[in-house]
Amino acid sequence: MRRGLLLAALAALPAAGAAAQERVLVRSEPGTPVVAVEVLVAVGAADEPEAQAGIAYLAARSVAAPLRPLLDSLGVRLEVVPHKDALSLTLIAAPDAWREASQALLVALFRDPVDSVATVRARQALVAELEAREASPADALARQVDAAVFGEGHPWGRPAVGTARTVGRLRVAQVDSFLRRAFTPERAVVAVVGPVEPEEAREHVGLFLLDGALGLPPVEPPQPADSVVRTDYDAITAWVSASWHFGPDADVGALRMLAGLAIERTSFGPSRPSVYNARSEVVRHAGGGEMRLHLVVPPREAEQWAARLREAVAAYAGAPLPAAQFAERLRRFRGERLLELDAPEARARAMAREALLGGRPDRLADYEGLTAERLQQAARALDPPVLVFLGPFPDPEESE
Amino acid sequence: MLALALALAAAAADTLAPAAAQEGPAVVVHRQPALPVVAVRLSVLADDPPGHAGAGHLLQHLHLPRLEEQAARVGGRVQAVRSADAVVYTAVGPAAELDYLAGLLRSALRPPTPSPAEMLSALRALADERGAEREIAPSYVRAALRAALFPGDVPAAGTGLSAQRLEAASLPALWGEMYRPERVAVVAVGDVELEGVRRAFAELPPAGGGGLAELPADTLPPLAADTPQATRAWIGAAYPTEGAGPAALTVAARLLRNRMQSRMTRSQVAVEHWWTHHGQALAIVVATPDSLAATARRTVEGALAALSGALAEDAVRDAAAAVRRDMLFFSRTPERMAEVLGTFADRGEGEDAAQRFFEALEEVTLAEVRGVLDLLAAQEPVQVFVAAQRLVAR
Repeated sequence: MRRGLLLAALAALPAAGAAAQERVLVRSEPGTPVVAVEVLVAVGAADEPEAQAGIAYLAARSVAAPLRPLLDSLGVRLEVVPHKDALSLTLIAAPDAWREASQALLVALFRDPVDSVATVRARQALVAELEAREASPADALARQVDAAVFGEGHPWGRPAVGTARTVGRLRVAQVDSFLRRAFTPERAVVAVVGPVEPEEAREHVGLFLLDGALGLPPVEPPQPADSVVRTDYDAITAWVSASWHFGPDADVGALRMLAGLAIERTSFGPSRPSVYNARSEVVRHAGGGEMRLHLVVPPREAEQWAARLREAVAAYAGAPLPAAQFAERLRRFRGERLLELDAPEARARAMAREALLGGRPDRLADYEGLTAERLQQAARALDPPVLVFLGPFPDPEESE
Repeated sequence: MLALALALAAAAADTLAPAAAQEGPAVVVHRQPALPVVAVRLSVLADDPPGHAGAGHLLQHLHLPRLEEQAARVGGRVQAVRSADAVVYTAVGPAAELDYLAGLLRSALRPPTPSPAEMLSALRALADERGAEREIAPSYVRAALRAALFPGDVPAAGTGLSAQRLEAASLPALWGEMYRPERVAVVAVGDVELEGVRRAFAELPPAGGGGLAELPADTLPPLAADTPQATRAWIGAAYPTEGAGPAALTVAARLLRNRMQSRMTRSQVAVEHWWTHHGQALAIVVATPDSLAATARRTVEGALAALSGALAEDAVRDAAAAVRRDMLFFSRTPERMAEVLGTFADRGEGEDAAQRFFEALEEVTLAEVRGVLDLLAAQEPVQVFVAAQRLVAR
C-alpha cells in the first residue's frame, strides 16, 4: 500500500470512542521482547454466498499482500489464518514498530480498497494451494467432518478457505465489494500483548475502530448428521473422527482436559500398535463448540476404533477420578496448556477469541479450579458423537 | 528495541556468578512474569575428550528419552543440543515446577546407565546424524567449510573411528573427563526469582574420576570422497575473521546477504556469521540452477568487492536494526530467550554477552563494516562446490 494513501486515511480518522476501546484488549508485559497484535474479524463462511466460498480468506490475503514490503522493512511478521467464524490477522513486531505496522494493517482492512494486482496474485496462489490441499486425506477428512458436524447446507459445513473451483472464479470487483460490506470495524476485536503502555495502546488501536459495540452476524444452529458418515477414499489407511457438540454453557476447560485424556487412551502404544496417528481438538464458536478426536488406523479396525473413542470419553463419565490420579493428570494438563500460550502471539489470539465469544479475555488459564467432579460432569453432559469414517471399506465377508 | 534492552538489563542485574561468594554454578535469571512458565537452560562448557569425539552428544542421546518422559509428566518438554561450545539441556514447564525441572536437569549431570539396547540405539542415532551431514548438499557444504576453517571443531556426532571407541569406553570415565561443577552455567527465563533458581541448583553432582586413556585428537575423515545429493549447484565460500568485531561482522553478513539476494533472484543465498569458542567466520552458501552455476560462482567471488563499493550509512543502520529486530523476534518465548542468553554466555564472553552484543549492534558504523570487509578481502576464502546431479535417461 502506498504511504500517501495511508496518511490521507489517517487524517480522516475520528477520535477513538469508549465503545471502540472496549473492543481493544491490552495485556502489558514489560519482560516480553516483542508486541503481538491480533486482529480478529468476525467474517467467515456465514457471510459468503455458497458459490463464493473462500472469498473472505481471499479478501484478507489480498489486503495483506501489498503490506508485505512495508512490514518486511520494519521486520514485522504477519500471519493470516481463516476460521469458520472469523479471520485472524496476527502481527508480531518489535516494540518500536508495532504502532506503524498495526496502523497500516487496520487502515488497509477497514478503509482502503483492495489492490487489483495483489488480488489476482493472491487468488492464483490460493488456488494453487487449495489444489494441493484437496488431494490430502487429512483435508478430505476435515471437509467430511465439517459437513457431518454442521450439516451439508450450513455455511460452517464448507471449508473456511473455499475450494479451488470457487476461489478460481472470484473477480476483483467481488472481492472489493465483499471487503467493503463484511470487513467492518464493529466486527473486529483487537488484542495487543507485549511491552506497551495499556492506555496508549488502547488509544492507538481504538482510533481505527468505529465506535459501537461488537456486532456479530447471526449464524443458524448446526444440523449435524444423525447417522454415521462413511466416505470411500483410496488409501491404505482409514481415518476415524468422532465429534461431540457442546453448548454455550459447557465447561470448556474440563472438556479440553477430557479430550487430552481420551486421546491418550487411544494413541499409539505397546497395547495399541495399530494406531498410526491420534489427535484431539476443542474448538469454540458462537453458540458452543465441539470436541473432536481423530485416529488413523488400519481400515479393518476402523469400526472398532470408533467404539474405542466413545469408550475413552465415556470412561470419565462414570465416576470422578480418584484424587491422586486426577492430581497427576491435572499437573500434566496444566503444563501443556501453559506451554500452548508461551508465545505472545498465542496469548493475543486466545484473548481475542475469548472476547469474540463473550468470555473472559483476562483469564487465559482455563485449568484453574478444575476438579475430578467437573471432569466427570463434562463427560456426562456430552451427547453421542457424530462419527465419520474415511478410507477403503473392506467387505466383511472377504477373507483375510 | 526497548524490550530486549530492558530484558537483558534485567538479566544482567539478576546475574550471579560463583565468584560472588556463592556456591553452585553461574546463574542468570531473566524474570518474565507474563506467564507462570519457566525455561531452564543448563550448559556444561566442555569439549569431547581427545579421541572420543561425539561423547557429549552420545550421553545426551542416552539421557534424553528419560528426561522427555519425566518432563511430560508436568506437561513440560526437554531438548538436548550439543553445540561447539557446550553440552546443553533445556527444560520448559510451569514455573511452579521449577524444582522438579531443575532436578531433571541435574540428573543429566551424572553418567547414564543404559541397557545394551539403549546404547545401541544411541550409537545408531549418532551414526545417522553423521551420515545425514554428508548426505545432502546444504549440510555437506557447511560441514566442509567448517572442517577446513576449524579442524578442531569435530561435528557433535563425532567420527566413525571415535564411535568405535565410544562403544567400548566406560561412560563414567568419559563423563568424568568432561564434567566439572564449575563448568556448569544455568540460564532461567520466566516467572521465577534468582534465589529460587540458585537454590534449585545449589547442589550439583561432584566431578567424577578420570581413567580414560589419553589419545590424540580426532580428525574428520575427508569430505571430498562423499557425493551429496544436490538438485541444484551449491557454492560455499567462508572467510576466517580473526579480530573482527562480532556486531560489525553480523551487520556485514546481513548487508552481503541483502545485496546478493537482490541480484541473484533465481538463487537461494545465505550469508552466516559463525561464532564459537573456536573462532569466528563469515560463510556464504548459495544454491543455484545448474545453468547459472558459473555466473553464480563469479558473483560469490566478487561479492565482497561489490558490497564494499556500494556501502552507505543508511544501509548499515537499516541492517543493524533488522538484526536487532530478528533477535527480538527469535527471543519471544522463554525457551528462545534462554537460548539466546545462554549461547552468548557459552562462548566465554561473560554472562552479559548477549546484551553487550545487542547494544553494540546499534553502535555499528559504516567505517567498522568497511573495516570488516577489508579484513575479509585480505583473507583467502575456503571454497566448496557441489555440482547438480543429473538424471541419467534409460
